[in-house]
Amino acid sequence: MLGLKKFLFRGGAPSGLSEDVKASLDAWRSSHAPALEELHFHTRYLVVDIVSSGLDPEKDQLLAIAASSIWQGAIQPDDTFYIDFSTLDGEGAAVDRQLMAFLLFAAKAPMVTYHVPYVGGFLQRAYKERLGLDFQPQWVDMAWLMPSMFEDKGHTVMPLDQWLEIFGMGGGEGRRDAMANTLLLGRLFQMLLVRAVGKQIDTAARLVDESRASSFLRRTH
Amino acid sequence: MNTQQQTGQEMVVGQVEMTLREKGRSRMAGNTIAFLRNHAPFNKMQPDALQRFAEKAQIAFYPAGSEIIGPDAGNVRYFYLIESGKVQARQAGEVTVTEYSILSLGAGEGFPIGAVTAGRPSTNVYLAVEDSFCYQLPAEDFLALVASSPEFNLFCTQYIASLLDQSRRQLQLQFAQRASEQQTLNSPLAGIGSRSPITVAPDTPLRAALETMSEAGVGSLVVAGEDRKAVGVFTRTDLLDRVVLAELPLSTPVGEAMTPSPFMLEEHATAYDAMFAMATHGIRHVLVTDAEGRLTGVVSERDLFSLQRVGLRQIRQAIDGAHNVEALQQAAADVRQLAFNMLAQGVGSEQLTQFISALNDALTRRVIQLNLEKHAFDGIDWAWLAFGSEGRDEQTFSTDQDNGIVFQPPEGASIDALKQRFLAYALDVNKDLDRCGFPLCKGNIMASNPQWCLTLDEWKEQFGSWIRQPHPDALLNATIFFDFRPLFGKAELAEAMRRHLLALTASNPMFLRAMAKNALDVEPPLGKIRDFLTDLEPDHPGKIDLKKYGSRIFVDVARIYAMASGVHNTNSIQRLRLAAQRLNIRADEINAVLEGLNFIQLLRLQHQYLEGEPGKQGDNLIDPETLNELDRRILKESFRQARKIQTRLKLDYQVN
Repeated sequence: MLGLKKFLFRGGAPSGLSEDVKASLDAWRSSHAPALEELHFHTRYLVVDIVSSGLDPEKDQLLAIAASSIWQGAIQPDDTFYIDFSTLDGEGAAVDRQLMAFLLFAAKAPMVTYHVPYVGGFLQRAYKERLGLDFQPQWVDMAWLMPSMFEDKGHTVMPLDQWLEIFGMGGGEGRRDAMANTLLLGRLFQMLLVRAVGKQIDTAARLVDESRASSFLRRTH
Repeated sequence: MNTQQQTGQEMVVGQVEMTLREKGRSRMAGNTIAFLRNHAPFNKMQPDALQRFAEKAQIAFYPAGSEIIGPDAGNVRYFYLIESGKVQARQAGEVTVTEYSILSLGAGEGFPIGAVTAGRPSTNVYLAVEDSFCYQLPAEDFLALVASSPEFNLFCTQYIASLLDQSRRQLQLQFAQRASEQQTLNSPLAGIGSRSPITVAPDTPLRAALETMSEAGVGSLVVAGEDRKAVGVFTRTDLLDRVVLAELPLSTPVGEAMTPSPFMLEEHATAYDAMFAMATHGIRHVLVTDAEGRLTGVVSERDLFSLQRVGLRQIRQAIDGAHNVEALQQAAADVRQLAFNMLAQGVGSEQLTQFISALNDALTRRVIQLNLEKHAFDGIDWAWLAFGSEGRDEQTFSTDQDNGIVFQPPEGASIDALKQRFLAYALDVNKDLDRCGFPLCKGNIMASNPQWCLTLDEWKEQFGSWIRQPHPDALLNATIFFDFRPLFGKAELAEAMRRHLLALTASNPMFLRAMAKNALDVEPPLGKIRDFLTDLEPDHPGKIDLKKYGSRIFVDVARIYAMASGVHNTNSIQRLRLAAQRLNIRADEINAVLEGLNFIQLLRLQHQYLEGEPGKQGDNLIDPETLNELDRRILKESFRQARKIQTRLKLDYQVN
């Protein structure tokens, strides 16, 4: 664990990337992002959560990524993903491959998380430093969207646990791991989609727009 | 797969992705297993079975008010397990969408087990009544789990078995709803009618007895001794007929004017039993006694009337008092209505078919009597015989006539001349029966056919030739004619026929074997892959003939065992019960078979009533797809029982 930072954030150009990662990265770059004009039911959303050693994406370490897809109205067990960086003691090339594997898994699908600055910040730094990639997926930020979709339940940005409490999903025994968190987020997200459709936000593109707008509005007003 | 071992150069990105997906899947599964462990039957399942469930189960959200699945959604693709929230199951269907069938399901409960097992659309509508999350396991994974996990298999099987009971109750409720009747004919007599009937001693003078009646404001008295054992009843009818018109002095003891030996039933007998007695004996009151025979109550027809919309006795009276076919036609319609009400009140098919038979018997007898006014057979012993389902007391709402005549010509009389008279008479009866709703037999098995209007000796000879030479035609005839019962006239003639028949079959084992072979020609329509075979009748694709492939199988087997064990009864259920005793068949085994037969009969009755168009003969063709989930499962089980008893017959008679 002590040496992890060295491998995760080595800085500089990714000249040392192995051939297979380079090839995958090139292929990924030229791949098309899925259209976001489809209805939610036909859109593959990726719910993402991370584990980090602290809250500052600039200083702290990314320890794990958990992701699960939602499409056709359900969380799909066959389409889930988990990276545990802490097992990769001293293997830089393995870290590269796993980050690359996550890109392949995500396949440019819109990503859903709670607090994009936090999750996105860690991912962005990792991809920048390891793969030289400016990681900018289409984000849906639940932290901002929840209060605008569930005004009747809470009208400010609040910690995830509070939302879980409101919907009777809280009361967990101790700390949840990242996958448990992702699944809970996934469930909240399914509920949120129902509300969104009620507000004519019926495609991924509109949901991403709404997410941006709500975070902008709340931050600046 | 452990990532650490795979981090060498040989692992390319694609492989790493697979590995990390695998890790994600197993973590999600761990999450699901944590939920499953808290709920039966999963808490009893083996870890690998749980793992299989968890790795395939999706999580879906259903907001309050949304439909999860329903009949219109096509074949069920998932088994649903409620994670949180509340789901309502509601029976769909054009006939009744009523409150009774609503079932509320909560966390840890699964659905629709029957439909996903059978791979067909759900017959129920499942509606999320609260915001609900469900695990949904794809149907193929559900089936694999049923096949591999004994605990899960048991759970699903027991669930389906418990539906058997539910189905019957639901069926009754369903009809009860339609008939808007709540009370049931299955209630014990202890709770019906008068608990403290007015009684007088037999030596009470008529005047005192009448005063008692007047004071109490009742229309009848029970005449009982000091031991409270009833010896008679005295009613207003008796007053008119036996006192006023007979000019009996009022000082006469009531015992001389009463109707003696009243009909009595014990307290635990049901309202149905009382009703049956009233219909059979044409009486108006049934006395209720305790186990020692002491009077505890009286049930009048009026008491039962509240359980009935069409009065039983009115029908009986209408039949007995009818002076022409037109009056009997109305009575026949009433029989149908009454039978429906009884179906509504949960009377089982066994009693119901007997009941229909009892009233139809009365009706037929009246037709026979009315026609005797034009044809006299004084001094000649003869009897009207019922064959087939009528002979077995198993009539449903639409049954053809199957009848014949047996007669004993007096010494020196011309048989031919007598037969011509009987044939002319029978033709009139057959035509009148047809007008009363008993259609003429297509196969001409009727008393007006010279083939079936025979002397006792001719019948014996006929039976003998069928048994000695069991050609296909003979075997077919045996299945109709050996189920005979005298309806009118000299019952001794029929009894002589029966004794002759049983003696013949006992001495011709080859005949029973041929019958057994014949009975095994038709098999229950159970598919190897699908639940039911519905293409056996080319003219009716998608349907099952419940008579041909259902009840007839039981009836045929019952006949053979009855003849083999010398049972005189013709009713299939009685035959099977009695034969089972004599042949040492286990009671639980035979009960399961009878349940199966009863269920099929009930379905036939239900189908004929609900789907029969007025004035059109109902059929026995049902489309299993239109049955609800419960009934389908039970029907399948009933067919299995048919197969079971056929297998037994096969072994017993060494038929291959």
